[in-house]
Amino acid sequence: MPSPRFPIPQGTLDMLILQILSLEPAHGYGMAQRLEQISRSVVQVNQGSLYPALHRLQQKGWLRAEWKQSETGREAKFYSLTAAGRRQLAIEKDSWARLSDAVNLIFEEGSR
Amino acid sequence: MIQLFNWFRRGPLERDFDRELQYHFDRRVADLTAAGIPEPDARRRVAVELGISQVREEVRDVWLTRWLRDSLYDFRYSARSFLRSPGFTAATLLSLALGIGATTAIYSLVDQVILHALPVRDPARLVLVDWKGDHVTGGFGSWNLMSYPICRDLQQQTRFFDGVLCRAEIQVNLSAGGDPTPVAAEIVSGSYFPVLGVGPALGRVIEEADDAAPGAAPVVVLSNEYWQAKFGGAADVVGRTVLINQHPMTVIGVAAASFHGVDVGAVPALWIPASMYAEAIPGSADLLRAPDRWLQILARLRPDLTPAHAQAGLQPWFKGWLQDNMRRPGFPAITADRRRRYLASSLELTSAPQGHSALRRSLSQPLWFLFAATGVLLGLACLNVAGLFLARGSARGREIGTRLALGASRGRIGRQLLADSVLLALAGGVLGLAVAPLAIRALIAFLPRDGAATGLRGSLSPSLLAFTFLASLTAGLLSGIAPALHAGGASLIGSLRERAGTAFGGVRLRKCIVTLQVAFSLILVIGAALFVRTLTGLLAKGPGFQTSGILTFAIAPVQNGYSREAAARLVRRLDQEVRALPATRNSAAARFGFLTGGSWSDPITIQADRRIVTGDVNLNAVSPGFFSTLGVRILAGRDFDARDSRPPGERGHRSVIVNEAFVKRYLAGRDPLGIPIAKGSGPDVKADTVIVGVCSTFNYRGLRDDSEQAFFPMFEGDDAGATFYIDVRGAPEQAIPSIRQIVRQADPRLPILWFRTLDDQVNRSVSTERLLAVLSGSFGALALLLSLIGIYGVMSFVVARRTREIGIRLALGATGGSAIRLVLRDAVAMIVAGMAIALPCVAVLGRLVQSQLFGVTATDPATIATAALVLAAGALTAAFIPAWRASNVSPTDALRLE
Repeated sequence: MPSPRFPIPQGTLDMLILQILSLEPAHGYGMAQRLEQISRSVVQVNQGSLYPALHRLQQKGWLRAEWKQSETGREAKFYSLTAAGRRQLAIEKDSWARLSDAVNLIFEEGSR
Repeated sequence: MIQLFNWFRRGPLERDFDRELQYHFDRRVADLTAAGIPEPDARRRVAVELGISQVREEVRDVWLTRWLRDSLYDFRYSARSFLRSPGFTAATLLSLALGIGATTAIYSLVDQVILHALPVRDPARLVLVDWKGDHVTGGFGSWNLMSYPICRDLQQQTRFFDGVLCRAEIQVNLSAGGDPTPVAAEIVSGSYFPVLGVGPALGRVIEEADDAAPGAAPVVVLSNEYWQAKFGGAADVVGRTVLINQHPMTVIGVAAASFHGVDVGAVPALWIPASMYAEAIPGSADLLRAPDRWLQILARLRPDLTPAHAQAGLQPWFKGWLQDNMRRPGFPAITADRRRRYLASSLELTSAPQGHSALRRSLSQPLWFLFAATGVLLGLACLNVAGLFLARGSARGREIGTRLALGASRGRIGRQLLADSVLLALAGGVLGLAVAPLAIRALIAFLPRDGAATGLRGSLSPSLLAFTFLASLTAGLLSGIAPALHAGGASLIGSLRERAGTAFGGVRLRKCIVTLQVAFSLILVIGAALFVRTLTGLLAKGPGFQTSGILTFAIAPVQNGYSREAAARLVRRLDQEVRALPATRNSAAARFGFLTGGSWSDPITIQADRRIVTGDVNLNAVSPGFFSTLGVRILAGRDFDARDSRPPGERGHRSVIVNEAFVKRYLAGRDPLGIPIAKGSGPDVKADTVIVGVCSTFNYRGLRDDSEQAFFPMFEGDDAGATFYIDVRGAPEQAIPSIRQIVRQADPRLPILWFRTLDDQVNRSVSTERLLAVLSGSFGALALLLSLIGIYGVMSFVVARRTREIGIRLALGATGGSAIRLVLRDAVAMIVAGMAIALPCVAVLGRLVQSQLFGVTATDPATIATAALVLAAGALTAAFIPAWRASNVSPTDALRLE
């Protein structure tokens, strides 16, 4: 079954997670939904793969987690950015911008 | 590090993650059912979407890297399986612990005596400055002796050195209120502490100003140990006055706690500036100006120089210095030939981060041997464990086959087996460490007590811990590698097809292991036999004089404020009073003690039909009756008597007795009696002392030494001290109190330096040989035991595997004897192969140990044959037990096994 959505590029998931959490703390399910909304269902994120990424980022000290009451009243594990996480997000945004500029430049060069 | 921590809280982590996933799952299911999908379908869909078990594994990998997690599981699994088979575990653990413990204990001594750098500033830049060539001038002390003036002159060579120090080990009598006691001290130049970069723990250390002029500073610095032991660590010790050889001196400080001087073997109680040489070394010459050699020189190289560079650079200056030194007062008159050799001397600089140590000189070779022996022993233990693992591996063949069939990779299984042996070896290392301090202390107890080994510690140091860890890890990997490779290579189908109990073999591998074990243990057993024969040979030969029933004690009155004349009077008085004791059968005194390792030596000029100048001859002065007391035969002429003693004040010797070796070497074919000789080698020496007797040759410095000796009469008014030899009736120990009483009555404040039986003195003189014999003997015995166990194990295994075959043979009419032969043939092949490997190694290694042996060559055929015979007999016995079992196999039972 060919999917109309393309799978998320390697390594960008971490950046997206950091971006989402920079707006407000969220739990895993919330993040999965937000990813779907933000990417307007263009990018396909395997819901499960979110969790290894979250734990990895937490181990690196970019995220912190705590159990809080969620909107349904049940306790959920909420992740939020640490100061180090914020710095990391800035770095990744910057390098992403430079990468996409470079790629665009090459494409324009080719199409001229 | 965080990851390892995660291992210990993996329970909470798992629960937390389960809860997190559950929330996601429930929310998703709720959303889907709200969208109209029936709940069972929704649950299935979410489970697929999430890929729960996959995600869980991935998250676990985040917590703890996969291989680390697997290894930890392997170790846990290993530990559990070890606990299930305590017999196997105990056997392997014990052999590894023995190997690791022995290696650790010997390494501790190697580290302390040979490798350990001094706890001073930048020890790597320290060099020992020594003299290569003929130094002409006399000296006293241990080795690498230099004069004080050359140290001073070297200090001017700032192009090469950042500082030069000199030091000598001496013994002084110290009294701090109570009776004087002899203590070890270091007499040092003012540059000693600054150059080493050692500071005080209290007060100050000796400085350049303290060594500015003779008698400049009557001060001492205490060592931290002595301060703690004798002054209870009192803070007001600085400024107190103590008596050194009855001269008052002020304590100016306590040296830093970690510093024990530059000699690892001798811990000084105190340091005293060289300017106080007259007080510290009574009766000495003008040591600060004379060319006499009595100190070692250490220097700190400039950072950019190597010892070789500095050595080459110093040479031109040293040429000039040699000329100047000849004009120094006290420089002996020498022949032109001798002068040529003297002027050809050079300085030699060797790196000395470990300082200078007489103990290291005598002990480093034996210690390296023992270290190598423990290495071989550890190797043997590893081989044994490898053999046991192979045996266990075959018992576990089905388990391993099943795991392989279920998809485990061979690497994974091999790693599991490696985890087994590494865990075991680490546990063995811990066990070995637990007994190591005891073993080290036992080793130190082998060394002579007085002074020599006081600086050695039985405690564990970080470097020792690191060594043990590395040794254990290596042992674990070595003993695990064969079984692991073997498991990796076994055929899966074969192992599943076989029945439990017989399983896959590794017989060939095990035979190789046993062959190696035989080789290793033969090497150790031969080494042990050589060292034991050396010790027993030395003891059986003895020193060449009577030792049983003889007491010996020593005094040094000049170190207690006596003049030489007064000291001589005291020695003579004590000699007479001891002789008069009812328990005394015979008694005599000598200026220097025998079998202590040291001697007084000088060349001798003989005026026979032509003038002969000898090499160094060992000299001593003895009282009349000395030779008869020790049972030394007078071969020609006579013993000393009252005629030979001169009245106090009159100088020079009147008569001399030489030993047989002296006559053989220098006076062969002549009648020695009446020939005039004299001490010294210069052209101005007048041979005016007449040989009155020849005694049989006996040992002076130690049991190995058969040197030329000459004896002058004692009681000539210049005896600084004496060692007494008393032949007593009855048990020697019973006479000690009455002799002590005589000394106390003569001078209650005079300490006795040592008091022991001559047998004890002989035993002390062979302490190194004893260390080698006892340790190599125990290592050899252990090695033998390990290899016998190895042979027994592999032969039992072979018999078990071939039970059916043997049963069939027996059923077909073979005799029990042929079954025994069948099995023994294997064993003999292994033993012969092992010996074939060992013997060439012995021939090579033998050359290295030859210098430590006595009365036996390293390739002595009788010794090697005996050792090989013992090993072969033991090994055949070990193999015979399973062979005999094979011959008793009942054919029906064997066939029923099918």
